[in-house]
Amino acid sequence: MNTVHLYLRSMGMLLKSHLQYPASFIMQTLAQLVMEGGEMLAVILVIDRFESLKEWSGGNLFFFFGLMSVSFYITEFFGRGITGNFPSMVRSGQLDSLLLRPRGILTQVLCSGTDPRRITCIAVGVASLVMGSNLSDVSWSIPKVLVLAESILMSCLLILGLFMIECIFCIHSVKSVELVNALTYGGRSACQYPIDIYPKPLKILFSVVAPFALTMHVPAAYILGKSLYGWPVWTAFITPLSGAVVFFVMVMLFNRGIKFYRSTGS
Amino acid sequence: MRAYISVFRMRIKMELQYRGAMIGGIVCQMFFGIVLVALYHALYESKAQAMPIEQVSTYVWLQQAFFRMMVATDPDLNDKIKNGSISYDLCRPVNMYTFYYIRVAAQKLMGSLMRGIPMIIVTFLLPKGWGITLPASGGGLFCGLIALFLGLLCMCALENITMAFTMRTLDSRGMQSLLNLLMVTLSGNLLPLTLFPDSWQKVITMLPYAQLLDAPIRLYSGEYLISEAPLILLRQAGWALILILIGVWFWEQNRKKMIIQGG
Repeated sequence: MNTVHLYLRSMGMLLKSHLQYPASFIMQTLAQLVMEGGEMLAVILVIDRFESLKEWSGGNLFFFFGLMSVSFYITEFFGRGITGNFPSMVRSGQLDSLLLRPRGILTQVLCSGTDPRRITCIAVGVASLVMGSNLSDVSWSIPKVLVLAESILMSCLLILGLFMIECIFCIHSVKSVELVNALTYGGRSACQYPIDIYPKPLKILFSVVAPFALTMHVPAAYILGKSLYGWPVWTAFITPLSGAVVFFVMVMLFNRGIKFYRSTGS
Repeated sequence: MRAYISVFRMRIKMELQYRGAMIGGIVCQMFFGIVLVALYHALYESKAQAMPIEQVSTYVWLQQAFFRMMVATDPDLNDKIKNGSISYDLCRPVNMYTFYYIRVAAQKLMGSLMRGIPMIIVTFLLPKGWGITLPASGGGLFCGLIALFLGLLCMCALENITMAFTMRTLDSRGMQSLLNLLMVTLSGNLLPLTLFPDSWQKVITMLPYAQLLDAPIRLYSGEYLISEAPLILLRQAGWALILILIGVWFWEQNRKKMIIQGG
């Protein structure tokens, strides 16, 4: 059984287990809808009051917001093991049992959780993307579709990588480190608006340290027919790859870190 | 009465223990605040609004400073409902609603003061337009503080209503997250209520959620005049009373029908 097959099997089983409590599941899914709807409402109200943000029109802002929601919640949907469960696995000593099995730790952690409630958040994100592309009159072409797919995929890897920072800290300190939230959830809040409106320190933070700007904003600007930082068109195809770079660096650090893992016992 | 006072003092001391969490919380809240203030600066460059940017910054910072007051919840009570040890609380010679009201009030008060005061001091030092401004007047500050206290009363009452739902459903996630989300949006944390469309504001400022932090902040920044203050404080007190009565009634109903989990 290869890794992908194992992952898909686990996902199937976890989905079934979530659906065992349909009433609770529906309630929570609706709660997610309200949450993401509330976030979108904030964007709608901002656009209603301010009309545009520097050179970005209201439609463009919907596109950026949608791109962030889709990427972030796809990650939470499929990577819940890393984005949510890991600290409690370390604290409870549940991680020990994974060490005994003949599979990679990371694979098993990824297989351990899913969050299907996020489906409504993704739906809101898709709606916002469609709305944004209609309002900004995007003329879709094959390269643009490819760039969009690449951007979403790479952003997911980036977000997964950033959440893994927390996991790596957690292996050493047992306690989950909330500071990393500034990068993950803070990044989500900040980068649902285009990066070039922010002052320099934030630009550097989200272009170099946590390169949301490279995986999302450069390709999105290309799709919207504009240019971020005045960079040439071909950069839109290259820069999203930074997401994969962050992810692989974090995988390496994670595998190093796990060698120092000391069980909490119990 | 003495029991309640000692519960209050105990929870205050307990909250003081978590200094590491406090620093983490402050840094996170500061970061979110800076991002929001930067966003509003950029928006104001595109189209300036009637409300000056300094007031928006002040609004954002005060919301962030007292964020803890809104989200702090009693984890013990959640666990007790889930594993059934809430049955012990039924044996205590105290009123259960008051007991938990006091507990959560101490937690919210101390938690937000520990984070809020350092944050307010730091944000005073930020450059003009980015940080927090001085209160509009001494009277405004005074009324704002009273309003903040009344807001705290409303917040604890809301928290207890949420808990009453949890006692019914036993699952803390569904209803709790729904109510909390409503709170984050309608209390002005996500987007200052002052930036909502003007026609909405008439309704929104009447809702209980606007009494939590929005009313105190507007009194502080002079958006509400001192002459309006008695009316606003009265509105807050009214909501606090209504919410507490709803909560007491709800808890009483729950107490009669309580199903204890576990064995």
